[in-house]
Parts: sequence; C-alpha cells; structure tokens
Amino acid sequence: MTLFLLTGIMILTYAMLVCHRIPALIQNFRLQSLFLFLVTLDFAVRQKEAGVFVVAGLLLLVKVILIPSFLNHLVKKIRVDERLGLFLNPLLSLIAALFLTWGAAVFCAWLVSDSPAVVFAAFVVSITVVLVGFFIMVFRMKALTQIVGLLVMENGIFLLASSIAGGMPFFVEIVIAFDVFVCAIITGIFMYRINKVFTHIEVHRLTDLKG
Amino acid sequence: MKIPLLLLQAGIAVLAAPLVSGFVRRVKNALRMRQGAALVQPYRNIAKYMRKEEVVSETASWIFRWTPSVVLGSTLAALMFVPVFSFSLSAAGMGDVLSLFFLFSLGRFFLALAGLDAGSAFGGMGSSREMFIASFVEPAAVLAVAVVAAHSSSSAAEPLVRSMGMSFSGMIAAASLFMVVLAETSRIPVDNQETHLELTMIHEAMLLEYSGPSLAMLETAAHAKQLIWFSLLGAILWPWPIGSSSGLSAVACAAFFVLKIILCAIVVGLTEIGLAKMRLFRVTDFLGLAFLFSVLALVVSGLGY
Amino acid sequence: MFFLSQNSRWCFDPLALFFLGVIVVVSLPSLLFSAGYLRRQFSRRRTALATGLTALFVISMAAVVASANLILFLFAWEFMSLVSYFLVVFEHEHEASVKAGTIYLVMTHVGTAFLLAAFLLMHAQAGTWDFEGIRTAAPAFPVGLKNILFGLFLAGFGMKAGIVPLHIWLPYAHPQAPASVSSIMSGAMIKVAVYGILRFIAGMLGVPPVWWGSAILVAAGISCLVGVIYALMEHDIKKLLAYHSVENIGIILLGIGAGMIFWHWGWWVLACAAFAAGLYHTVNHAVFKGLLFLCSGSIHVATGTKDIEKLGGLIKRMPQTAASFLVGAMAISALPPLSGFVSEWLIFQVFFAGLRDAASGGKLFFAGMMACLALTSALAAACFVKAFGVAFLAMPRSRAAAEAGEVSLSMRSAMIFLAALTVALGIGAGLVWKMLCAVAASFLKPPPAVWDGLLSGSWGLIRFPGTDACLRTPMIMLALSAGIAAVYAFVRLVSRKHSVTVGRTWGCGYYRLDHRTEYTATAFSKPFRIAFGFFLLPYRKTEKIRDSFYHVKEFSYETSTTPVFKRYLYDPVVGGLFRLAQYVRGFQMGSIHWYLAYVFVTILVLVVIFGRP
Repeated sequence: MTLFLLTGIMILTYAMLVCHRIPALIQNFRLQSLFLFLVTLDFAVRQKEAGVFVVAGLLLLVKVILIPSFLNHLVKKIRVDERLGLFLNPLLSLIAALFLTWGAAVFCAWLVSDSPAVVFAAFVVSITVVLVGFFIMVFRMKALTQIVGLLVMENGIFLLASSIAGGMPFFVEIVIAFDVFVCAIITGIFMYRINKVFTHIEVHRLTDLKG
Repeated sequence: MKIPLLLLQAGIAVLAAPLVSGFVRRVKNALRMRQGAALVQPYRNIAKYMRKEEVVSETASWIFRWTPSVVLGSTLAALMFVPVFSFSLSAAGMGDVLSLFFLFSLGRFFLALAGLDAGSAFGGMGSSREMFIASFVEPAAVLAVAVVAAHSSSSAAEPLVRSMGMSFSGMIAAASLFMVVLAETSRIPVDNQETHLELTMIHEAMLLEYSGPSLAMLETAAHAKQLIWFSLLGAILWPWPIGSSSGLSAVACAAFFVLKIILCAIVVGLTEIGLAKMRLFRVTDFLGLAFLFSVLALVVSGLGY
Repeated sequence: MFFLSQNSRWCFDPLALFFLGVIVVVSLPSLLFSAGYLRRQFSRRRTALATGLTALFVISMAAVVASANLILFLFAWEFMSLVSYFLVVFEHEHEASVKAGTIYLVMTHVGTAFLLAAFLLMHAQAGTWDFEGIRTAAPAFPVGLKNILFGLFLAGFGMKAGIVPLHIWLPYAHPQAPASVSSIMSGAMIKVAVYGILRFIAGMLGVPPVWWGSAILVAAGISCLVGVIYALMEHDIKKLLAYHSVENIGIILLGIGAGMIFWHWGWWVLACAAFAAGLYHTVNHAVFKGLLFLCSGSIHVATGTKDIEKLGGLIKRMPQTAASFLVGAMAISALPPLSGFVSEWLIFQVFFAGLRDAASGGKLFFAGMMACLALTSALAAACFVKAFGVAFLAMPRSRAAAEAGEVSLSMRSAMIFLAALTVALGIGAGLVWKMLCAVAASFLKPPPAVWDGLLSGSWGLIRFPGTDACLRTPMIMLALSAGIAAVYAFVRLVSRKHSVTVGRTWGCGYYRLDHRTEYTATAFSKPFRIAFGFFLLPYRKTEKIRDSFYHVKEFSYETSTTPVFKRYLYDPVVGGLFRLAQYVRGFQMGSIHWYLAYVFVTILVLVVIFGRP
C-alpha cells in the first residue's frame, strides 16, 4: 500500500513538469501533499505514535489546505498571465527528470542495498521530489513557481526524513511546518509587491534591474 | 482441455463488459452531483441499436460492412489472452501479451479503414487521429508489459498469471500502463467519449457512419476492450495467484477480480473528472510521459526492485 | 579465367539455398506478372527486351548468392548492379528515370568500391579467393583489420540494402523501374545485400565484438524510423513502398544485430533465434513487398497514375487487386495472423530476452530498440491505413480512377499467388521457423546441445527458445475466424427482420458530397507531419490572388517537407566534389604541349624515386 502511495507521489511529481499553467501546478502540489499525508498517516498507524498523527494532521492542514488556497488566492489577486513560461519544454524536462531519477535510483541502490522495496522506493521518490523541486525553480519563469518549487523540495525532504529515521523529532516537524507556511506567505507578499512595481512576475526579466 | 472454460470466460466477459462502462459513468455522475443514467444504460443502448434499421453509405464497400465483425471478433479472440477470471488461453500456448496488442491493432486497422470508407471527412479525421495516437501508445505499452514480465523473470507468455508480489518497478509500469489505458479506452485527457463535437472526437468520429446492429457490435467491442485493459492493469498492479484449480479459490479469484475492476473504474472515473481534454498535439507529451515511466520502471527493475 | 579454375566456384550451403529460395519465390510471380504488365505498357520489342533483362537480373542475383569465391561474387554483384541500372532507366524517355538511374549507378558503384577494398584486404591477408579458405583464416586476422573490414562491408552492403543514410537512391530508383522489376528489386535485390552482410560479417570474421552488433542495431533502428516516417509523408504509391523497404531492411537488421550481440555473449540459442527471426522477416518482406509492388503496378496500369491522391474507390472496380493489396498491407503492418506479425513478434521476443537477461546498460539499449520497433510497426499500420484507405476506399478522386477496370488474368494470378503465400507464411509459422533455425545454426555452428533448444515445437507452434513464449498462429487464425463468423452470423440472425438501407453519406446539409470533401492522404498524415516536424522540417506556401481587397479569386496552397538527408548530407558532399573538380580543372589546359609536359615530369619523378639502384 505504501508502495502504491509512493508511486502516486512520483507520478504527480512528474506531472508537475508537464504543467503549462499555474493553477494546474498548484493543484498538482496539493495532490502531492495529499499523498504525502496519506503516507504519513500510514506510517503513523504502523508506529502507533500520537506525535506522528499530529504531524500528519498538520501536514493536511498546512500543505493540503492552507498553502494551496493561499497561492490560488494570490494568483487570482495579482491577475497575472496564467502560463508558467517554460525555459525547457515538457518533453525535455521529463527526460531531464528521468535522468535525475535514474541517478537517484543508482545512488540509493548503492546506499541502501538489500533493504526492502518500500525503503528503496521511499528513498528514490524523496530524492526525485527534491531534485524536481529544484528543477522547477530553475527552469520556470514566473516567481510563483519558485515558491512551489521550494514547497515541493520541502515535501521531498519531509519524505526523506520520515523514511530514514522514522521522522524528525516532533517539535522540529511542527516548527518546520510553520516555517514553511510563513515562508510561503512572505514570498507571496513579496511577489505581490513585485507585481505591483514591475507589472509582471517573470524572474528572468528582473535582470533589468542591473542597470 | 481448457478451451470450453475459456469460451465461457470470454462469453461472460463480453456480457459483463458494458456494465463496467456503465459503472464508470455512474462514478463520474456521482462526482458531478448528477442523477445520471442507470447502471444498465449501455445494455439498453445496445438493445436499441439491435432493433434499429441500418443505413449504409452508397460509397462504402465490403470493408465497411465487415469491420464490425472483425473488430468484435478480434476482441473476442483477445479476450482469450488475458487472465480475466482465473485462466487464460496464453496458458494453452496460443500467444502472449504481445499478440494481444497485435490483435487490438488488427481491430483498429479495420476500424480506421472503415472510417475512411464512407467518404466523409469526419471519418477520415477520426482515422488519422486514432492511428496517430496509437503509434505513440504502442511503445509505452509494449515496454511497460515487457518490464513487468522481465521483472517477474517469467516468460512473456504469462507474466501476468503468475504471482510475483508487489514491486516498485511493477507499480511504475502500472502507472505507465494506466495512461495507456486512458488513451486506449478513449478517455478524457486524450479523447472524450461523451462528446460528438467534430473537433474533439476521435474514436466516435470513426463510428459516425455506423448505425443499427453494426454500431451495437462496435460499442460492445469497445466495452470489451476496456474490460481487457482494466484486467491487464489490475493484474499488473495487484497480482494475485491466479490459476489454482480448486473451486473455492476460483470463486475467490473471481470476487477479487471484480473488486479490482471496480477499483480501476473508480480511479478512471476520478481521473476523467479531474483532468481536461488535451489538444491533439499535447497528447504526445502525455504519452511521452507514459513511455518515460516505462523506461523508469526498467531502470528500477534493473536495480532489483 | 583463373578464378573459374579454382576448385570452389559455387556453394549451396543452407544460407545460400535460403536466399536462392527467396529470389525464386519473388521472381517467378513477378515474371508472370510482367507478361501481362509489360504488354499493356510497351511495344512488343521492348517487352522482349525487358523480359530478357529481368531474366538476366534474376540469374545474376542467383549467381551472387551461389558464388563461392570473391572474384566470382564481385563479377556477379557488378553484373546485377548494371542490369538493374538498365532496368531502372528502361523508360528512358522520362527524364526522372535517367536521373534516378544516375543516382543509383553512382551510389551502387561507391558501394562496390567499398566491397572491392574489403575483398582485396581479405585476399592479401588470407592469400586465397575462396570463401572456405578465408573462413578458416579470418578468425586469426588482426583486430584492427577486422574492424576495418566490418566498416567496409557495412558501408558496401548497406548502400545496396538502403540503410539510412545510404538509402538515398532507393526511393528514386525502385519506383522508376517497371512494377515487376521494382518488385524483384525490393523483394530480392536488397535481400542479396542482407545475404552479403550475413555471409561476410557474420559468417566469416568469427565471433564479433559487441560494438559491431550495436552499430548494426543503431543503424537498423534509425533506418526503421526514418523509412516509415518518410513513407508516411509520401503519396506516390511506389515511392511509399520503396521507403517501406528501407524500414523493413531496418527490421531485418534489428534481428541480425541482436543476434551478433548475443553471439558475442555466448548465448548460442538466442543468437540462433535472433538470426532466424531476421531471416524470417527477410522472406516475409520479400513476399509481401513483392506483392505490394505488383499491386501498385496493377493500379498504374489500370489508372495511369501512381499518385494516391488521384485514386479512390478502386475496391469496387478492382476487387481482386484490392484484396491482394489488403493482405499485403495487413502483413506489412504486422497484423495477426499473417506473416509480418510472426516475424515482428519474434523480433520482439529477441529484444525481450535481451532486456531481461542483459546487464544494466544493455537493458536500456534493448528497451530502446524494442520501443523503436513498436513505434515503427504502429506507424507502418498508420501508413497503410492511409495507402489502402485513400487509394481503394470511398469515392474516386479522378476520372481515371472512376473508369479503372480489373487487370488481366496473369497479373491477378501473380498477385493472388503471393497473397496466398503471405497467409501461408503466417499460418505455417512453426515449420518455417524450424527451417530458419537450421539455416541460422548452419552458419553460426553452435555447440550441438543448442540444437535441441531450437528445434522444439511443431508445424503450428513456435516455441521461442530462451523466453519460452509460445505462438500458435493456426489457433489465432481459428479463434479470429470463429469470432468473426460468430459475430457476423449473430448480427444477421438477430437483425434479419430489419433491412439495410443504402443512403448517401451525410454531407452536413450540402446537397451531395463529392470527392473534394473526402479526407486526403496529405490531411491524413498531417498529425504525423507536425509531431515529427523537428525532423521533417515541413514548410508551406500560401498565395492569394485577389480581385480586390475583399474578394480572393484564387488561393494556392503548397506544403512539403524538407529532404533532410539530401540537403544536409549529400548536397554538401556533392558540392565539395564539384569544388574539388574546379581545382582539378586548373590542370586541364586543353593544350597538347602541357599534357606532354605532364607526362615528361611524371616520368622524371618516377625515375628519380624508383630509378636508383
């Protein structure tokens, strides 16, 4: 069952690279977080620890409900062109992601040799998610995608942490959750200001500021 | 010999197949908060078509008249290749999953010809697009099945009837195959079953000139083909030791099979609700993703997972 | 002549016999076809000439395949090339024929030059002209020489076989010859090149290094895809078929290349099976491509055109030709239970075995090849939906197509014979497979234990060694025909009371549809043109002629694709040659005194270099 969920996260991560529009990307992120929540819940049920349940609930609240809603709200508010602006077309992005995953898989096979398939899969998926988040930050034009990319990376790190050591300490998790939320809000506000000042949020055009 | 049993299985599958389509429609309508048609609506449609008279274009040739038989006949033959309930003719050494794909392409070939046969531009457009999509489906599908077969280190003959346990590579291959299933059953990101708008329809465009019993045959074939794909997907996603001979386990297998089909139908319905139809030339991206998942499955399977 | 006094002139080992069989099987129906075909096209004298040349062509091919020493082989090869050149330019009143012939002649001679170089190298090293002698000496050749020989053979035979990018002559030359000859050229002559590859690379140089097989596989994969994509864009029926020959040679070489890799790894059973799969596709392609070319000849005779955009509705006027073409089209699209299906299934099994058993990099390589083959076969099916659908179905698009009639008995019987053979090669797959395994084993010479693995199965059953996959084509045939018959009977039984009305196709409210509203081949292939646009580089020109700003009097639209290989590979090479020629022309003064001076200087130089004691 965990394997199934992990594969779901993987598919959604790849699907993010095919997105052409901002709302689709946010929706994708929401779904990815939902799957992450399910993985955590599954983990919590198996561990029978109250703390993990709370972390899962926090995940659901922050990443599935609050942040995506906030981002959607932001998109509506700044009324920016919905298209993401791709530096690399979807097919090439996918091929790049394939190579990232390949590298991750080879690395993990070396790292956790002879461990069960679930552990291996969790490793590969989490590293892929981190790398793809990074990829999205680098190869998409709009500032909003940088936020989403960051959040995706955070999802990956969360998954990695819970697959290595059964999760981070409870307080760390909570702090990270709030941290991420605050981070999203601050960058959102920042972006709002950028849009006000420059009437666009395309990062590559900020080089004009060099003077 | 298992042949009478196989015929029985094929017969039951063909009769039950419209129910699956009806169920997917129910799922979609429930999600849209609509009343929707009854579960048995596909049967009603078919029964109605059977009673209607048939109109054939004056430009059409024998290809047009024989195509419904060829399409349904090849689907019937294909039904013997998949582990529907508990046994498949592949066990009798008739062929393997590859032959199944080739049988599908036989039906598609004739359907595309029939689309051109009536001389209407709609049919030709449908044929062209169907063949276009099929060409990009094929590599992803073949590779996904090959990876699963190789991973279970059985032969290509019956990779799906053996118990192989759940594996990560199998899951990824199933993801690829799921996208293939969406394309092959003309579902939303690729095609749309619910529309007859000339700019968007693909599969329906080829059937546009058909009426009466011929249309009934073609619809039945589409339902049966969907069932075959679902059961293939189910077998890969959730392999179950199929093929034991005792009566009780056969019943259990059948029940489990029904469960898997229901799950597939729900997931397909959810996907259709959640996605919008893609432009034709973005379908290559979609199927490219499917192909990539197959390759990924191969990589992971090469590492032993 | 000294080479005739050598003790081995001819050899009839299983490999040679197989290719002789292929040549005969294609040539006899083609000759039968040409009896009716040529008479309709040409005068009595030219008919006799063409028949004579065709006979010589067939004999020369047989001589190539049967010869057992290098010089005889080279003579027969050159004879074959020349005779086929004469056949290409047979309709020399057309400028296109002469141009195609020139391209063919140049390319084939470049190919022969490669072969000549390879043969001289072999002779110099082994000291004999005999195949047998070289065969025993060759495994001990130095590695560098072997690699050079491999390159020379691949280039030389690849030129004749039409491997991309050496295929450029094929779509010009094959369509220009009379249809019966194109059928032999495409069915048999390019197979002779395959024979060359098997005989010299696989049969003489010993166990190949792994990069040979990989190189062949890569070339084959590219040939498959390029051939079929260009075929999709082509609307001249004979050119379309010629591009499909490029594709199918690719498929044959996919089998052979995989076999060489397996051989290197010491997987004897799979190596034999892979070679046998390649051979299976060889005979299949010979038969169905011969059939398709004959059908295209019938169309040409009946309508006077080869452009499928001007055809349509022929299935009603030429029912037997249409049925034969349909069989060929189904076979080339790998539809069960016909012959093409069996061989492509076998090659898929070969790749499956590679994918399953190879190490990590190899897995991906074989997976890539498998995907390549899957894409190719699906695209081929699309292409033949286009070819058959546009040429034979719906309404005629020209007066010539509307007034076409069925062709003569000799032509029809040739086509029907080949169509029957296509079906038989599919149904009797088990039997053919066994024979081909024996042929493959005869020149690979595997250890005896391998034979048992190869030869299990019966006439109706292929049991693929290595993957244990089974294929029973008679059973598939039975299931299909039973299914189709049952459905047909059921419909007729249930809807007996209900009539079938014949009506017009709905024309969206217009009074009547005519052929101008039909889907054309150009329109059919448009999605492919766009999807493969990165390679085909399509362009279009539109032109409006206006009376005034508001009224467009005429509108012209032209779309085409860029011939990538010609423009970016051959044109620069040919241009470079011409520029070189310009420099050389500097020496050509046209004055006899200068030429005498050249001679004088040359002698002096030679004396200075070699004259010293």
